Amino acid sequence: MAETEIKSRKDLLDIESLSIEEIEYLLKTAEPFKELFRRSVKKVPTLRGKTVLTLFYEPSTRTRTSFEVAANRLSADVTNFAVSTSAVVKGESILDTIETLQAMRTDYIVIRHGASGVPALIAKHTRASVLNAGDGFHAHPTQALLDAFTVREVYPETEQKRILIVGDILHSRVARSTSTIMRKMGMEVGVLGPGSLVPEGRPDYMKSFWNWEDALAWKPDVVYLLRVQMERQEQQFFPSLGEYHRVYGLTSERFKRVEGAGIYLMHPGPVNRGVEIVDEAMAYERCLINQQVENGIATRMAALYWLKPGEENER
Amino acid sequence: MSELIWFKGGRIAAEDSAKLEQLDVLVEGGKIIRVAEEVKAPEGAEVVDCEGCVIAPAMFDVHVHAREPGREDKETIETCSEAAINGGVTGMVLMPNTLPAIDSGGLVQSVLDIAAEKSRIPIWQSGCITKGRAGKELAGIAGMKSKGVPVITDDGDSVADPMVLLRAMQYAKRFDLILAMHCEVKELSGFGAMNEGVVSYRLGIPGIPACSEEICLDRDIRLAQYTGARVHIQHVTSARGMETIRRFKEEGVKVTCEVTPHHLLFNEEHIGDYDTHYKMNPPLRTQKDNELLLQALIDGVFDVIATDHAPHTEFEKNSDFVSAPFGITGLDTALVSLYHHYVKTGIFGWDLLVKRYSAEPRRLTNLEPVPVVEGGVAELIVFDPNRKTKFTRDFMKSKSSNTPFLDQELDGQIISVIRDGEFLLNR
Repeated sequence: MAETEIKSRKDLLDIESLSIEEIEYLLKTAEPFKELFRRSVKKVPTLRGKTVLTLFYEPSTRTRTSFEVAANRLSADVTNFAVSTSAVVKGESILDTIETLQAMRTDYIVIRHGASGVPALIAKHTRASVLNAGDGFHAHPTQALLDAFTVREVYPETEQKRILIVGDILHSRVARSTSTIMRKMGMEVGVLGPGSLVPEGRPDYMKSFWNWEDALAWKPDVVYLLRVQMERQEQQFFPSLGEYHRVYGLTSERFKRVEGAGIYLMHPGPVNRGVEIVDEAMAYERCLINQQVENGIATRMAALYWLKPGEENER
Repeated sequence: MSELIWFKGGRIAAEDSAKLEQLDVLVEGGKIIRVAEEVKAPEGAEVVDCEGCVIAPAMFDVHVHAREPGREDKETIETCSEAAINGGVTGMVLMPNTLPAIDSGGLVQSVLDIAAEKSRIPIWQSGCITKGRAGKELAGIAGMKSKGVPVITDDGDSVADPMVLLRAMQYAKRFDLILAMHCEVKELSGFGAMNEGVVSYRLGIPGIPACSEEICLDRDIRLAQYTGARVHIQHVTSARGMETIRRFKEEGVKVTCEVTPHHLLFNEEHIGDYDTHYKMNPPLRTQKDNELLLQALIDGVFDVIATDHAPHTEFEKNSDFVSAPFGITGLDTALVSLYHHYVKTGIFGWDLLVKRYSAEPRRLTNLEPVPVVEGGVAELIVFDPNRKTKFTRDFMKSKSSNTPFLDQELDGQIISVIRDGEFLLNR
């Protein structure tokens, strides 16, 4: 696939531990997979006979489906391990689940969990390759890879380009992973959000903005809107959705300025129309949301292609 | 066992002397009858060769969770006392946050009864400040006092309502009880599982800001100042909190405080890749806090070192970081780890260790210290700096092994522990 082979890893748990060479390799590898989608036969036999198990402790349609399509196009057998998402799933049951998975001799485990570090815990205890599909507030590495791939398509030279991430940074694994990968690719990262949702301890390289005026004056090349986590309102972080939209949302007026400056728009989905983004922005020609979805499949195929499970007798 | 024990050629550690003096010690039936340069021991005395070793007063721990009654799968009073002996500790104060919580004289007695049967060292049980540690109604303070409780505490939680705490202080003061305070504003800690800062951001773990502890600590000492009650601040972790205590002490407020070995030795960076052996509450803070807490210990701000020995099963700790319970064990490891990191390296001397982990903890519990002097009680340890200790599961006597020191090998070994004329430990 890519010209230079990079040594495989067993797991993909976060972006932080990836070298820039590994990131470049994954993005490069995703390219021919994306080409494949234009053909009538979209399948390659790479993972024939291998099994991919999806294990989602948090509800997700998009990410799970994206992984399933990616695995299918690599000819792997995909199984969905049904776990309870209704109740808070405690760590105790995870160890038991690992034992079960071990017995199933699956090759790849795609996991999403509400607690940070669970994919790492599972990776430690199983020979299968573990792909983190989002853990707590910690990491969402395949989202970051697809975001990087999408930015690369519009800006082949990412050095010095500016990305502004807007919204709930505190609870966002997407913000953490995507800012990390953009930074590794030489981009400048800015964040804009309510003071209560921009966390303490964020890295120094993040430029913080508290209003759109200052943020747009910084001249970002990409504006990355985060989903307002309506379900995370057990504690109040801002007075109301209306106020959020007025102060931090991409309103019609702000959208016009974004459009005027030719700034690209991204969003990890699903979108809350009228909260973080106005309707008309969805139809903007530089809105990359649909590309992100398509690129998600290609980059997840690249990740599955790259990872190598441990030996049969390994744990 | 011979009636007379002759400790030959050891160097004596004392709280008030930086120098270790080489002296022989002769013990008879629980008493130290002679301490001199060269003792002429009578025939038949049992000789303990202490060449190159340190003889020190045995340690005392004011902050221990023995988990009995209620969580005997984690620890029992028997295994806990054996862990203590293994770590050179011959007396301890147990925290009351068991199941049920120890909030009445009857419950105190039930623990003391178990201890009398199962423990080879004396045990002091502390009582709750509020019934069931619920923070609402006062526990049976007079009844607990009559059973010898030296201190009351809702450890594990703060007393959230300041009016309840104020009344408790006013009341307990008349029973000459110390109130030991776990300082935390629960609303600020929220679902936090570690210190809030760069590492919690990186790991995506909800954080506990240091101000959660600092605000409560400040509040509790101000209430003590107002009521004149004696408060003891447990497991101080933040340098800013420590500075608050220092300031109030200078003003003459009756406040004492403790620091744990882990808050001196470790910080948030040690959590690394979600290692739950570094998860405790209050959490590990920053390297800067380590440095400033250590300096404060040397300066005498901290009255005592205490372990906050908190056993949990391997199953519970072998979980994801957020779900795993707070706490690590400490009795087996405290003395050797402090020796290895601080005494051997010359950062502080045996005098500090003896003062802060033996003498002052006993005074805090209204007990006499046990210095190695002629006429004193023989409650001492022999410590060999030339041996090593490897903290394997086998070596540690606690029922749980949730400690960062698991399988580490450190310099120094406790080779004997003597109390009441008896060898509790003799390696």
